[in-house]
This record gives sequence, C-alpha cells and structure tokens, in this order.
Amino acid sequence: MKKTNIEWTKVPVSRRGFLQGASALGLVSATGLGFAGSAFAGGSILKTRAYADMRSLDPAFSQGVSDEEIQAPIYNKLIQYKPGSKWGWQLDAAESIEQVDDTHINFVLKDNIGYTNGFGAMTAEDVKYSFERIIDDKLESTNKPDWSALDHVEVTGERSGTIVLKNAFLPLWSITLPYIGGNIVSKKAFESVGGKIDTTPVATSGPYMHKSWEPKQKTTLVRNPDWKGDPAAFDEIQIYPIDDEKASEIAYEASEIDFTRVSLDSLQRLKSSPPENSTVAEFPSLFYVWVGMNLNNPKLGNLKLRQAIQYAIDVPSIMQASYFDGASPSTGIIAPGLSGHRAQSLTGAAANIDKAKQLFDESGESNVSLTIDVLNKSTNVTTAQIIQANLAAIGITLDVRLHEAATFWNLGGNEDLELILNRYSMTPDPFYATSWFISEQAGVWNWERFASEEFDKLHTDAQGEKDPAKRDMMYRRAQDLMEESGAYKFITHEATSNIYRNSITPALRPDGLPLYRYFNKA
Amino acid sequence: MLSYILRRLGLAMVITVLAVTLLFLIIHMIPGDPVSTMLGPRASPELRAALEERMGLNRPLFVQIGLFFFNMLNGDLGTDVFSNRQVTDIVLGQLPYTLTLILSSITWSATLGITLGCYSAANRNSLADRLTGILSVSMIAVPAFVVSLYSLLIFAVNLKWFPAIGAGEPGNFSDQLWHLVLPSLAIGLSWVGYIARLVRASMLEIMGEGHVRTARSFGLPERWITYSYALRLAILPTVTVIGVGMGFLLSAAVFTEIVFSRPGLGKLVIDSITTRNYPVVMGAVLFSTLIFVASTTLADIVNAVLDPRVRSSK
Repeated sequence: MKKTNIEWTKVPVSRRGFLQGASALGLVSATGLGFAGSAFAGGSILKTRAYADMRSLDPAFSQGVSDEEIQAPIYNKLIQYKPGSKWGWQLDAAESIEQVDDTHINFVLKDNIGYTNGFGAMTAEDVKYSFERIIDDKLESTNKPDWSALDHVEVTGERSGTIVLKNAFLPLWSITLPYIGGNIVSKKAFESVGGKIDTTPVATSGPYMHKSWEPKQKTTLVRNPDWKGDPAAFDEIQIYPIDDEKASEIAYEASEIDFTRVSLDSLQRLKSSPPENSTVAEFPSLFYVWVGMNLNNPKLGNLKLRQAIQYAIDVPSIMQASYFDGASPSTGIIAPGLSGHRAQSLTGAAANIDKAKQLFDESGESNVSLTIDVLNKSTNVTTAQIIQANLAAIGITLDVRLHEAATFWNLGGNEDLELILNRYSMTPDPFYATSWFISEQAGVWNWERFASEEFDKLHTDAQGEKDPAKRDMMYRRAQDLMEESGAYKFITHEATSNIYRNSITPALRPDGLPLYRYFNKA
Repeated sequence: MLSYILRRLGLAMVITVLAVTLLFLIIHMIPGDPVSTMLGPRASPELRAALEERMGLNRPLFVQIGLFFFNMLNGDLGTDVFSNRQVTDIVLGQLPYTLTLILSSITWSATLGITLGCYSAANRNSLADRLTGILSVSMIAVPAFVVSLYSLLIFAVNLKWFPAIGAGEPGNFSDQLWHLVLPSLAIGLSWVGYIARLVRASMLEIMGEGHVRTARSFGLPERWITYSYALRLAILPTVTVIGVGMGFLLSAAVFTEIVFSRPGLGKLVIDSITTRNYPVVMGAVLFSTLIFVASTTLADIVNAVLDPRVRSSK
C-alpha cells in the first residue's frame, strides 16, 4: 500500500495562536464591522448569516444545518454535495468510492489530506473511527440514526477501507455520507481529548480552519494554509447567528453581511428593487407542510368527513396569502427533483367545494366543530385562518389553537389531537420523509396515527431498492396511501430565497442551502 | 448606617431565593418536553433516558430545586446540554454585553433626563419647558423595539453611520462602543423622557418648600439653590426609579438584543427557553435576578446616604 508522502506542518488552532498569526487580518475585520462602508466582502472576507448559533463541532453531536454549515468547510467527507440545481455528490476526501454490493462500499482516500495541529495525514483508521464512534452506544451520539445501517468499517490499507452495512441502504449516499455524519475527524486528535469535543476543535482538515467562536455573535473560519486541494477563496468566513429573518435582511441592507436567506414576504420587494450590486435567487425547498388529521380521534373517525376536509381546503389561496405567491402547492411529502415525487395529488390543490359538501352530506355528520393546532408563526396563523374559512364554507367550525415552538413539537403524544398544521424538514432522500409516518412512529412523529402495513413495507423495501424507476414508484404509492387514508392534505414544500452580493459566487445545494467551502469571489 | 445596609442585604438574599424558586417552578411548569426538544426527533429511548438522568429530570421537582441551590452554593450551575459547556461560563460570557448595554443606556438617559428636568423646573412654563414636556411624553410613549427598528433603518440601512448587528470585536473598545450606540439609544430614549418628567415634578415640589424659600431670603444665588439644595432632594425618587427600572431595562434589552442580533443575557434566556435548555435558563435567570436585586438594594442604600430619614426608618 502506498504510504502518504505529505509532511503536515503543525498549525495552531488555538485562539492565541491565531490571534498572533492573523492579527493584521483581525484588525481589518474589526474595523470592517465598525464602519459599514467597508463591511463588504469585496476584500477577502465572506460575511454570512446562520439561522442559529453553533452548538457543537463534534459531528456526533451536531444538530441541523447551522452546525453543518460550519463543519463542512473545516472537515472533509468521503463525498460532498455537488453545488448546482440537481441533487448529486462529488468526491472529497475519497480518491475513489464504489458500492460493490448491497452492503459493501469500498473507498480509497486521497493522499494529500491531513489534519491541523500536527495530527498527521488522514487515514482509513480515521474514517473507521469517525463513523463507528457514532453508532457506539457508549458515546450516546444524537446522530446515531444516520448510521443505523452501519455494521463496521474494515480498514484494508493505510488509505483504503470498506464500509460494511447491515442491510442495503441507498440513502447513505444522499443523507449520510455527504452530511454531518460523513465528516471525518482525526482519531488521534479526538482520543487525545477523551473521545469527544464540544465547541473547541482539536484538529480539522478542510480548506478552512476554525479560528474563533464568540457565542451568540460570530464564528470565524480562516484559510487552512496546509490545504492541498482547490484553494479556499476567502481569507475568512464570518458566520453571524441571526435567528430572525427580518433582522438578517436589515443586516444585509446595511451591508454587514454578504449572503442571507430572505423571507418570502420580503421577496417581491427585494426582487423589484434589490439593494445595489445584489442578486436575489429563488430555490425549491425540501420542507413539507401539510394538514394532518388524527385518525384515532373519534371526531375524525369518519372517512367521508376527512375527505370532505381534504377537498374543502384551498391550497392556492394559502399560497397567495401565506406565502405571497413565492411557493407552489405540493403533491405530497416528497419534493420535486427527488425520487418518488408525484406530479399530482389525488385530491388536487384547489378546493372543490361541491365535492366537499357532497362528501360532508354523505358522512352523515352535523354540527361538526374541530380544533387545529398550529405553531405560532405568522405564515401558519394565516394558513390556519384560510383553512378555517374553507371549512366554514361546508359547515364545519374550526378553532385555531396556537402554540410556541417547544410546546408545539411535543404535541405528538396527545391522543386528543384533531387537526394539525405541520411542517417537517427534509433531506434529499425520500426515505427520510416516509420514515416519520410508519406505524412505529404513531404518537411520536406520526401525529395522525396513520397505520398501513403496505406503507410500512414500502418504506422498508424502498430503502434498499436499486432500480430507480421501481423505487420512484414505491414512494409514489406510499404517498397515495397516505392521501387515501383521508388523514393528509398536502400544502407546500415552501421555497428558499437568497440574496447575495454580486462580488461573490455562491455555491448552493439545489434547495438553496449554502456550501461555503465552495463559495468563490465573482 | 451599617445595620441598615445589613438589613437590606439580608432582605436581598431572601428575595433572591424566593424569586429564583418561583422562576424555577414556572419554567418547569411550561408545557414541552426538554429532552425531545434537545435530542431531536430520532433519539432512541435509551438516549432520552440517559439525558433525563443527566439533567435530573426524572427526580421530583422539590429535589431538583434543592439540588439547584446546593450546586449553586458550590459555584456549579450545571452544564449546557447541547455544548457541554459550563453554564457559569456561558452566562458570564454573555453578562458583560447586557450589563454594558443597560449601564450605558441608563447613564446617558439619566444624565440627559436630569439635565432636562432641572432646566424645565428652573424655567417653568417657558417655551423650552413646554417643548421639553412634549418631547419627554413622546419619548415615553415610544417602545424600545420601535426605536430599535427605526434607528436601524435610518442610521444603519439608509445612512450607514452605525452597524446593524453584533457587539463589535472583542478587545476593540472603539468598535464595541460603535456597536453600542443604536441599542443604547433604543433602550435609553424612553428613560430620558421619564426621568426628565420625574425630576421636573420633584424639583418643583422641593422648590416650593420652606427651606428653599429660606435659602432665597438669605440671598443665595438661584443656581446654587437649584443644584445644591433642591436637586439633592429631588433626585431621591429618581434614584429609586432607576433601581427598580433595572427590571424594565432587562426586558427592553431582550428585544434590543434580538433586533440588533447582539449577544447578551436576554437573548440567551429566550434561546434557552425555546429549546427548554433548563440549566442555561436557570443560570441566566439567576444572574438576571441578582442584577435586579442588587440594583434595587443599591438604590435603597444610595437613598439612605442622601437622606438620613430613610436609614432611621424601620
């Protein structure tokens, strides 16, 4: 086996080390924020917004996009998401990677990737350690489900190995290897600090390195001088946690950040009169929003009543009033561009009041009064009010009950739930969408208590189905089953809109989420 | 004087314990399961049980309160469940930002408010007095978040004079000061009007009292009477109001920290409550309570120093 021939210099990642080494850079950034006029990233600093502050730099404990946006530029994976309008992956730390059968994936690492802080070249042992530690019960990793199919990683050489799975698991290529769980950490570095880290990195390997984290204020990444791949475009990437979208729009208009997501209600204004030297871009999102009906609640036990509700809800009105025509109606839980997307739903997007009335009459129900539980966001409140009006048109009274986030997300176990306006996040594989609606999830994340043996079987079989056409058909059938139960009215996948300076060329996933390591200067 | 101070400190401790206990109960009564919120949708039952055990959530509430106070006395406020950082470190990291914001706001607003109040009282019923009155009431009527938004749009977005987000680079004093201007303006503006009205009213009351008339009859200069005799007494209610007002300033700081994306205790509390991060919420609440209790106690002591009648009262 070929030995690595790269000598890795010891690059300090401590705050003090960087402050000494990059004091001039720090000075530039410091004055840059103080005087808005010089805050453009026209120089070599990319300033961008995250929707939440960093929680962890340990891939085993990271949660969500905001952590991954920081980890992706500083760690390497075998494969990374490919920027562009179609979902796909490209090689990163892997020189080659190949699925040889249902349960074996062979990989060979590049010989020019190493860790900072003197922790040497990346080896197959690091890959084994990184993936296996996540499934280790003792570590209690929150990301264990991402690697649920992993049996072990076999090291066959210094830079080569085989990922051995317990069962065929196609989503590995779309939601595990190129996402948080795929980040490869240094075994030696992690073991030197007891096997896990929090917000202080011990060694990284990507084109950028972690320079500092000022809680609730900023995370700063700087160029990794030892990076041997395509050079990083920016001297620094500053990521500001701004949870409120309006606040981030103001920060953009005040020239303090160069890239941010914008809210749909600001989209028309920004499109018609964008700030100077700016581009507004829209992307389809993967999120899915729907109205669910609790099948275990006796008030909703009548299929005809549920179908009447499905036909009474007018999704185009919701798109207009809640999403300012910035999003399109959805046909299911799987967004366009992914395997299993349905071209049309069974009940249609627009309301069919005549059919709804007819179904309501056939149901034999009268004086129906229901409640819809809603998360207290303005989009949701507007949507619920439209649904309230829609149902009133067929003689159903609907009360809207608002909840703050933590309360709302714990409603699933409540047996008395009636209607729910819900929204789940999604990764680029249909497996992730159907996993919440299997019988086992009833009362956990399957709030509708939808139970179908056929659905469960489709979900299990489709995750290992290699024939794309067959897999597509299986997921379409799964969504048909959901809709036929009368428990679901699909609303939208929403949309992602970004605004950025023309001085940068963003690299984005098809759903508009940023891949900072591939950002460039225009 | 010493016994007065000791009495006040004792009372402050009792208030702190009661307030923290009450807040602990309220936080734990809010619906919502912290474990689900923290671990996300796909956590296994074993993982959930382990976190419940680690957070002490599987114990009775009174045991949890007892443990909180016991650990607090040992200087341990627990660890953040997400980052595993010490809560004390997290709170102490955010505290200076909030303290700076509150103290700068109250300093400039009190200075301006007292000056305007004195000027209005000394020039009662003049045009300047009337204008000051209108301005003061207008300032009181505008909430901090409205000032925040408009000052952002005018001074950060349109004029680009001041930064819109953040608290400035650590260690760079001028940059931090620059970042403080708009948030401090937002919080302090209503206090200018409030303090000006309060000082004016107190001054007019004092100026009509016998000892001031006596001073005038002795031929002392009006300026001397106003600032050395009247203001010293008229300032007493203002000191009390500023002390009690720390609570309002903390609330205003929450909005301002969110609008300006500034780090601080207010933002920390909001973020932690929405994620049901109990250890951090309790740490932040404890420090907020301490700020409030300390400021009211300090106001009482200052009052006692300025007015001997206060310290002699039981």
